Amino acid sequence: MGLTPATWPNPSDAFLAVSRGADARASPFVILGQARSDKPAVPSKRRSLIPAIPLQDGEQYRFHFDMSKCIGCKCCEVACAEQNNLPPDISWRRVGEVEGGSYPNVQRLHMSMGCNHCMEPSCLEGCPVDAFSKDPTTGIVLHSADMCIGCGYCEWNCPYGVPVFNEERGVVGKCDMCHGRILQGLEPACVNACPSEAIQIEIVNVEKWRRDYQEVANAPGLPSAENTISTTRITMPTDMPFDLQKADYFRVRPEKPHYSLVGMTILTQLSIGAFSLVWLLSLLPGASGLSFAAYAALSVGLISFMASPLHLGRPIYAYRAMKMWRRSWLSREIVLLSAFGFTATLYSVALWAGINSAAVLGGFATLLGIAGITATSFIYLVPARPAWNSKYTFGEFTLTAMTLGSLFALSFGAPGRILIYSAVGASAAQLMIQMLKFLWLASSEEFELRASSRLLSKELRSLLLLRFALLIVGGIILPLVAYPLVALMVGLAGELLGRYLFFVSVVPKNMAMSFFGLHQEAA
Amino acid sequence: MIIKRFLGLDILSEKYSYVNDPVVGYTSSEKSADRWVATTCGYCSVGCGMFIGVKEGRAVSVRGNVEHPVNLGKLCPKGLSEHYTLDAENRAQYPLLKENGQLKRVSWDVALGTLAEKFRGVQQKYGPEALGIISTGQLVTEEFYALGKLCRLGLGAKHYDGNTTLCMASAVAGYKRSFGSDGPPGAYDDLEQADVVLLIGANIADNHPILCYRLEQNPDKTVIVVDPRVTKTARLADLHLPIKPRSDIALINGIAHILIRQGIINRDYVARHTNGFEELKTFLEKYTPERVAAITGLSQEMIFRTALLYGQAKKPFIGWTMGVNQSTKGTETVNAINNLALLSGNIGRNGATPFSITGQCNAMGTREAGFASIMPGYRKFESEEDRKELANLWGVDVNRIPTARGMAYPDIVEACVRKQIRALWIIATNPLVSFPNYDVLKYALEDLDFLVVQDGFHPTPTSELADLVLPAAIWGEKEGTYTNSERRVSKVNAAVAAPGEAKPDFDIFLAVAAKLGCKEEIFPRWQKPVDAFEEWKKVSKGRFCDYSGLSYELIEKHHGIQWPFPEGTTDVVTSRLYADGQYQTPDGKAQLWCVEWEPFPEQPMKDYPFILNTGRTVEHWHTRTKTKEVKILERMSPRAWLEMNPRDARRLGLKPHDKVTVISQRSRVEAIELRITEIVAPGQVFMPFHYAEQNSNLLTQGQFDPYSRQPNYKQAAVRVEKTAMK
Repeated sequence: MGLTPATWPNPSDAFLAVSRGADARASPFVILGQARSDKPAVPSKRRSLIPAIPLQDGEQYRFHFDMSKCIGCKCCEVACAEQNNLPPDISWRRVGEVEGGSYPNVQRLHMSMGCNHCMEPSCLEGCPVDAFSKDPTTGIVLHSADMCIGCGYCEWNCPYGVPVFNEERGVVGKCDMCHGRILQGLEPACVNACPSEAIQIEIVNVEKWRRDYQEVANAPGLPSAENTISTTRITMPTDMPFDLQKADYFRVRPEKPHYSLVGMTILTQLSIGAFSLVWLLSLLPGASGLSFAAYAALSVGLISFMASPLHLGRPIYAYRAMKMWRRSWLSREIVLLSAFGFTATLYSVALWAGINSAAVLGGFATLLGIAGITATSFIYLVPARPAWNSKYTFGEFTLTAMTLGSLFALSFGAPGRILIYSAVGASAAQLMIQMLKFLWLASSEEFELRASSRLLSKELRSLLLLRFALLIVGGIILPLVAYPLVALMVGLAGELLGRYLFFVSVVPKNMAMSFFGLHQEAA
Repeated sequence: MIIKRFLGLDILSEKYSYVNDPVVGYTSSEKSADRWVATTCGYCSVGCGMFIGVKEGRAVSVRGNVEHPVNLGKLCPKGLSEHYTLDAENRAQYPLLKENGQLKRVSWDVALGTLAEKFRGVQQKYGPEALGIISTGQLVTEEFYALGKLCRLGLGAKHYDGNTTLCMASAVAGYKRSFGSDGPPGAYDDLEQADVVLLIGANIADNHPILCYRLEQNPDKTVIVVDPRVTKTARLADLHLPIKPRSDIALINGIAHILIRQGIINRDYVARHTNGFEELKTFLEKYTPERVAAITGLSQEMIFRTALLYGQAKKPFIGWTMGVNQSTKGTETVNAINNLALLSGNIGRNGATPFSITGQCNAMGTREAGFASIMPGYRKFESEEDRKELANLWGVDVNRIPTARGMAYPDIVEACVRKQIRALWIIATNPLVSFPNYDVLKYALEDLDFLVVQDGFHPTPTSELADLVLPAAIWGEKEGTYTNSERRVSKVNAAVAAPGEAKPDFDIFLAVAAKLGCKEEIFPRWQKPVDAFEEWKKVSKGRFCDYSGLSYELIEKHHGIQWPFPEGTTDVVTSRLYADGQYQTPDGKAQLWCVEWEPFPEQPMKDYPFILNTGRTVEHWHTRTKTKEVKILERMSPRAWLEMNPRDARRLGLKPHDKVTVISQRSRVEAIELRITEIVAPGQVFMPFHYAEQNSNLLTQGQFDPYSRQPNYKQAAVRVEKTAMK
């Protein structure tokens, strides 16, 4: 602007207004000059940050978070950990960052988040044991550690990464808005600790919120409130840059491998695949020598099924997992796979006893097995884990069953070119859909999907290539040159590796984290 | 039990249960305390009141004191987890003496006997000046008072200074030059009362978060932040001035130039209460907006806007911290700030003050009572009258009172290098992480005849070099007082016993005096900190920092009381210094100083093109000796990082999270994680200084303020390379 002393501004010039909070200060000389002698000399009493009035029908509590006030000090996170005696690696409230703009007009905004006490909580909907409840009075999403069996399915379902599995306890835990304190009329620990008074508890009318949550429930770096109708109201600064990016945008790390699930899903699919193929072969005229393969396939399935509770935090309560079959795909999977195991065992007994109508039982078992694999697939079709939430998951699981089922049956003496062709065909198809899936991930606009492809093409690249090689060798070349047992070993290794990659390469939806991410990594 | 846990029958229900605590309400059972001990936070100088919750003899929780006038119940994340520092794994528990290169456990008797023998031996062999003492801002005032007497009278040591020289010495020197005395004039209440809050080189959101809480209570403020980095605090500002590094003097002079030119100064105040106006007016003529804009990189509009906002404000507050102090021009920058306040008469009124926000919890205590850079009660070494008065109070010959201050901290280090100082006693500080130009310091400490490190923690990078380690009790384990930035004296109390054989520093000082045979002379009948406090009250009586009306009971009753509090004072109110315009100078007038902007010493150059800025993060305290042990803080901020602007990163082909090496003319830091961010300007990089593992002070330079001897931490020329993968 090139001001020279000759053109020095008159003190009343409006240009002195500052960029933010400027509305009242168009002319600072007037406004700032006003005497404020009425202000008390001692700090004012704190304003209340929880509602003073009780809830009415159709209302619930919610958090209000003021992003424009938050200074990212993480007091809330520490206070929460103290209130709930959390181990140091677990946070029920986290503080993340987004940054945008360019120097010096840059904003780094902090987001503090506990549970959003959603109106359609996906943690609750997926839970196989009904450990979650939406408190009828307060609307708080509560979790019962006593009912929880520690399957961790809620961790997959929540788009905000709110429920966290506690290794020490074997159960999940989450923010309950300090329910116990609220009932006493006390501020939750986070609200109480915040030096910026950026966190508050408010009352929300449920119906009204369902209509207009969109405008105030979303924030940069946060998954859409639409997924679960999150109830947290977020106030944002008015001058936000358009290019805000998560602070952990480039810190995408492989997820937990879930080794027991890798083994369990692969062996179950192998078992069902082999069993179904053997049953199909048994329908062909002149079929013989299939019983051994059927028994072997069943044995693998049963062993895997017996071992399955071990992946739970509380194996002894595994039986509870069937409880919510009306709502949870996890419950349904367990019901269907149990039924498969039971029916397949009956079929085997019938085969052994030479009962004629065994084929019907086998067919029934096959149907249950296929339904079981379908249910398994549906477990992974969760919106909070976008890379799993596609038709490829169903394809991958089914083709694993076909590939390994064919190779297994071949290895255990089932005759026939058909099995060789089905192994080769399924492997080729698997190869195809894995490539298509990668292209889909890589070309996506969605952060989590692209980040998945980034993981697969960088950190996990050699494992991915090895997985393809094992699939080609074990599923295509070896069966054709007639080494069934070797083919099975190689094919099994390939599928185990493939499933491992399935688990570690998914990038879950979550809030923006801080630069160092949520968890301290091993050095 | 393990089987029950494995099966899922046991989910540690008891550990994760809740109770209705009578004091804090519904909370985790394990955090529900049997008793609460009122105390003051031991980290920074904000001085928050808090309680330590004790259950079965262990500190299990803390909570803010809602009645404490400083924090009204709030605490920062370090304060909220402070109890974890007490049972940290690396607490020093036993005296250790080096034998054949190995530190071995010895009795206190042997340890202190050795200390006395070695110190005396060195002093006899090389002269009394061959002993140096470097203390801290972390002890209680009673300990500082005792240590001062012990050093000067007991050990006859001339060279005694503290790590406070690394943190607020420039503020002290600046206050003295402008107002005739140390002592921050304002109060935190000013943050709530001011209409304009100008923060210079102060990132309070990271470093003093509870001051943000105080600021938050002020609905009418306009906040201006001067910082080359877009800090958390800058992002909260109404107006951020992204100045070029170390151009603050030019900016402040430019503001003063505009105020004088526009006639927006308080001529009456200037005439009645200051000296040097005409010289300053003439001097400032060259600080035209054009020139200042060129030096600072700010637009002229921004400079005008700031000047007029400040000049027209009724109650403007100027706060600063390390961005100003840690500089070769730190003292003079403080003088420039004080000039602004004096020109507009903005001192000693509600809201209006030039306010140094101090660093450590009790840096103020050592400034007032410590006898390091100044004599107790702000008495001046060079004043015969002051020396006589002190000698009289103590009943000692005046010849035993030094006539000049000894060497400052950096000069003590240099004297070690020159073999002039042969024995050193380091108390509650960790120079190997906090002192600039690591290599020189390490050489100095390794070359000593005898190094004593007295600390609550061992090993630290510094204690590892010690010949003798004395284990000290820390915050939560001992009694005394802290004085915060706003001159508020708060009580510190013991909640739990110190681990092993660790002792309060106070007891150690008394025991050392006993070994030296001077206990009854210098600490007559002293047993507890209160004995020191009572004597200190007498020594401070009638001085500017008058404690004589205080007592432990009164402090506890009001949670914290500001000095001056002369005997007979009854009202406990928020106080401001210089409300009457009478300064601590011979003629009662403040001095306006003509201070010249100069480029900082190590300018970026061809091989070292970046300016390295250093600072802090909210999760950690100083050299991380304590906070590294607090698992939740360590998890949040586990290692150092280097911030670089994307434009520079692109040019260098660097990507986010790359491991980079930072190299200065002195040394290099390897494999630091790169954070590419727009919060630093192109050409500048930033790294936190907390991490011994990636120590920024390998890179910083040994350049010091000529008045305060404070190091210039904030600008070093460096280059950045991608770390070669091994």
